[in-house]
Amino acid sequence: MAVEVVVPRLGWSMDEGTFGEWLKQDGEYVAQGQSLFVLEGEKSAQEIESFDAGILRIPPHGPRSGDLVKVGQVLAYLVAENETPPFALAGAAVTTPTVEPASPAKVSATPSEPAVSVPVTPATVASPAVQASPRARRKAAELGIDWTNLTGSGSTGRIRERDVLAAAQHPTATTGRGVVPASRKGGQPQPVTRLRKAIATRMLAGANETAPVTLTMPCDATNLVSLRQQFRTMRRDAEDVVPDYNDLIIKLTAAVLERHPLLAARWGEQEITLPSDWHIAMAVDTEGGLLAPVIRHVDRMSLRQLATETRRLAHAARAGTLPEGDLQGGVFTITNLGMFGVTAFTPVINLPQASILGVGAIVREPAVSEDKIVIRDRVTLSLTFDHRVVDGAPAARFLAELRLAIEQPGPWLMS
Amino acid sequence: MSAKVTTGLDKQTLLELFRTMHVIRQCEEQLAKVHQRGLVHGACHTYVGEEAIATAVCAHLGQRDVVFSTHRGHGHALAKGVTPRQLIAELLGRSTGCSQGRGGSMHLFSPEVGMMGTSGIVGPCILQAAGAGYTFKLLQSDQVAVAFFGDGAVNNGAFHEGLNLASIWKLPVLFICENNQFATEVPFAYAAGNPRVGNRAEVYGMPGFELDGNDVLSIYETASDAVRRARSGQGPTLIECRTYRTRAHAEGMGDFTYRTREDVEKWKEKCPIARLKSRLLAEGRVSARELDAIVDEVSQQIAEAQQFAEASPWPDPATATRHIYASPQVPQRVVVKSAPAPAGTREITYMKATHEALAEEMAVNPRIFVMGEGIGKRGGNFNTTAGLYDLYGPVRLCDTPIAERGFVGMSCGAAMTGSRPVIDFMFADFVLDSVGEIVNQISKMQYMSSGRLTMPVLLRGCIGIGHSAATHHSGNYYPMYAHFPGLRVVVPSSPYDAKGLLKHALRSNDPVLFLEPRELLGTKGPVPAEDYEIPFGQAAVVREGTDATVVAVGRMVPVVVEAAQKLSAEGAAIEVIDPRTVAPLDIDTILASVSKTGRLLIVDECFAPFGLGAEISAQVADRGFDDLDAPIRRVNGLHTPTPYSPTLEAAVVPNLDDVLRGIRELLAE
Repeated sequence: MAVEVVVPRLGWSMDEGTFGEWLKQDGEYVAQGQSLFVLEGEKSAQEIESFDAGILRIPPHGPRSGDLVKVGQVLAYLVAENETPPFALAGAAVTTPTVEPASPAKVSATPSEPAVSVPVTPATVASPAVQASPRARRKAAELGIDWTNLTGSGSTGRIRERDVLAAAQHPTATTGRGVVPASRKGGQPQPVTRLRKAIATRMLAGANETAPVTLTMPCDATNLVSLRQQFRTMRRDAEDVVPDYNDLIIKLTAAVLERHPLLAARWGEQEITLPSDWHIAMAVDTEGGLLAPVIRHVDRMSLRQLATETRRLAHAARAGTLPEGDLQGGVFTITNLGMFGVTAFTPVINLPQASILGVGAIVREPAVSEDKIVIRDRVTLSLTFDHRVVDGAPAARFLAELRLAIEQPGPWLMS
Repeated sequence: MSAKVTTGLDKQTLLELFRTMHVIRQCEEQLAKVHQRGLVHGACHTYVGEEAIATAVCAHLGQRDVVFSTHRGHGHALAKGVTPRQLIAELLGRSTGCSQGRGGSMHLFSPEVGMMGTSGIVGPCILQAAGAGYTFKLLQSDQVAVAFFGDGAVNNGAFHEGLNLASIWKLPVLFICENNQFATEVPFAYAAGNPRVGNRAEVYGMPGFELDGNDVLSIYETASDAVRRARSGQGPTLIECRTYRTRAHAEGMGDFTYRTREDVEKWKEKCPIARLKSRLLAEGRVSARELDAIVDEVSQQIAEAQQFAEASPWPDPATATRHIYASPQVPQRVVVKSAPAPAGTREITYMKATHEALAEEMAVNPRIFVMGEGIGKRGGNFNTTAGLYDLYGPVRLCDTPIAERGFVGMSCGAAMTGSRPVIDFMFADFVLDSVGEIVNQISKMQYMSSGRLTMPVLLRGCIGIGHSAATHHSGNYYPMYAHFPGLRVVVPSSPYDAKGLLKHALRSNDPVLFLEPRELLGTKGPVPAEDYEIPFGQAAVVREGTDATVVAVGRMVPVVVEAAQKLSAEGAAIEVIDPRTVAPLDIDTILASVSKTGRLLIVDECFAPFGLGAEISAQVADRGFDDLDAPIRRVNGLHTPTPYSPTLEAAVVPNLDDVLRGIRELLAE
């Protein structure tokens, strides 16, 4: 039976978002865990992972890039081989979950009176009680999840155990309440994966073998937000990639770094090596753990190229298909925890690099401008640098210039 | 016929005959009386008027000789040594009764004294006596078996098959027909084309006699000769004793819709006890005082027995399901649980594996014998006994006429008397003629005897659809047998399981239906050469998986395994469970699997309605409800007789595609 691809809720208050783009083609096979489409919420664009496998079938009137879509809206279907997607069946339509409750008159409309003025799809009339398998109910009770709010993936829409587990692991996709995933129950040892081991080694080295200092710098991000909105508004078509904040900050950082190469230098006992190429690493959170794929020659890339490349790298990192080469050669790393509401933090240096930039949440808050309190978008940068390589003042100068770039981004994007 | 007799008998014997008849008479009259008072809870068929027969025949039997009887069996039990206490207590439903309250009037068991049971079914006692005779022949014992039956039994197939089988094998059996002229109320004169019974013996090639059933001395003399012939290996005898029951068919029933008061009164005048008494007095061999003393003594005995019965405890309701199966057997060899055969183990066919099990057990257990059509010199239709005839001869490898009811009924009596029959019926369809013997007799004997009898009967044959065998050579039937308490139902799917389970069957004391999927007989698999057995009720997890549980038996196991392999390539991990024994059913292993996977499919070549899948589904829905993440599904053979043409035949059996579809749909649920 077809599995519905629906708009997830990306934040607590999110009711609608902007559809970005499909990351899979109509008719393409989607494996469980692969990214399916890009959805822009209030703060950022996210690649939406598919919890099910199947062949993607996008209806003819499926969402276009830039369309507003409601949480819960069915965008497409995942079907089995040779299975006909529901929209191809007579009478079915892509429905939104926020339909008006059918009036009694509509409900009582009998099949012998087909000419009801308001077309009512079967899905809206039936509105059957939510069904869940006994196993799913038990699992939901164990995990403290209200299964009545979940979307079932069973052939009849029945909520299955996997739906509850998915809700537990990705609470933002449902109304789940920040639960402990079943796989991380207390008392159950979790094996240390190879990736986990590698992260542990690198992080320990970054913390112990360097002389880390963290500086934080509040910036006004109003122009950055405005700039991004311009890109969104002026998008040409569904194929057109809109750079997100990360893309903009990577580009700006690379431009500023060129003027402060010591921040991207490499420490050696005998000599300090300055960078020859502006390869910037970006931290990506994957199911297996942190990965930092490298965008090469950021200085030579257009924003469009950069945005395309960061999508590819993030996607590959999450799918576990990232070539080893994409993880090497970075001279500077940017990490962003803004989507979680974090404003400032102390990132750990990614050796052999000399510094790392942490990007916080863009928050609308009151600010003083010309002795007036105004509402501005604010973002805080957190720079951790290796004091062996660079001193506090030059690091602060770099950060101050980066603030300028963020506050007045236009001129820095010319190259 | 009997004028001269008393002179040849000593006084003690004459008085014993008199006493036994009086014990029966007074006991029956007591039972009739307490039946009226409501103390007898079920039926009560009295033997009043027929006492001479049981008395005269049993006078020649020792405790090791055995009697198989009918619904009118109080007299046989008493004459064979069951005490009035035990009889009355049984009819009063007390724990001190001869069947400990499990039987009542029609199920009197006392194997300790050779009373092998009375029966509510007309006919089987004939076959069971023949079976006991077969045990005595096998074990070269001089014991004798006796079947008492009424005229109602002689128009039944069991009579024909039993007498013929006893005759061809010269079995030490007395067939005693108590012709009381009515089968309940249908007159024998109406029911029989040949109104005589004794002369039918000639048809079967054995001596036959027609006696006055109310003349104890005449019967005594004829039975004496018959017992002597039986003990000396000269075979069976049929003795017809013409008699009359002078009470109703059962206490409380009307009596004069089918016979007249006059007839009954006339026969009362021929009372066998009065006849013996008057002859003894007329000949002056005993005094009236001596006989009166016996009558008084018996009266006291019966009165005391009644008091004993009424004072006896009721059986404990908690024991109502005890003795359905034999207690754990004593001589257990090492049980190797279903550990997979180690790599490098030799591979043999399913057929060879069961042959080895049988040959090995026959070599160490002389009580095992095999019966079936063509299993002697020929070695069996499926080579089940190839070569064994040369080793063990015609008594242990016994070819039979085509008389399934006959030899299956015989296997019951054989097992009851200490041998271990293996019935090889080739195709499971053939044995349906004997289902009454299996489910009404063999399966119930352990229970009805309160565990005093064991029933090591192995019934084996082929099942399953294939090779255009058509509808009389392709049935499965295991759900039917599994329905009945007292039977073990085994359906092995691999050579390893087949050998281990057959070994266990040949060592266990319960009746076993050992059903071999014919399409698998030629399949090869690893079978260790060393001795091992697989206990009943232990499912095999043939393949482990986490996404769905598929239960399959017999022929469907390899099909499901193939499907699971295919699906494994698609990323689905299917757990395959083979219960191996349908009864007992290892539901715990299935539940444990469902608890892991949340999904259950039962694949069964046999019919869906009321079948294996229905039973498993019900139990899992009950005990494993909260484990289920999807509805329980079944894939079954179509509910139809098996057609012949290959295209039709293929349509009724689940194939790989059906199984794949079933699993995929279940995974999508």
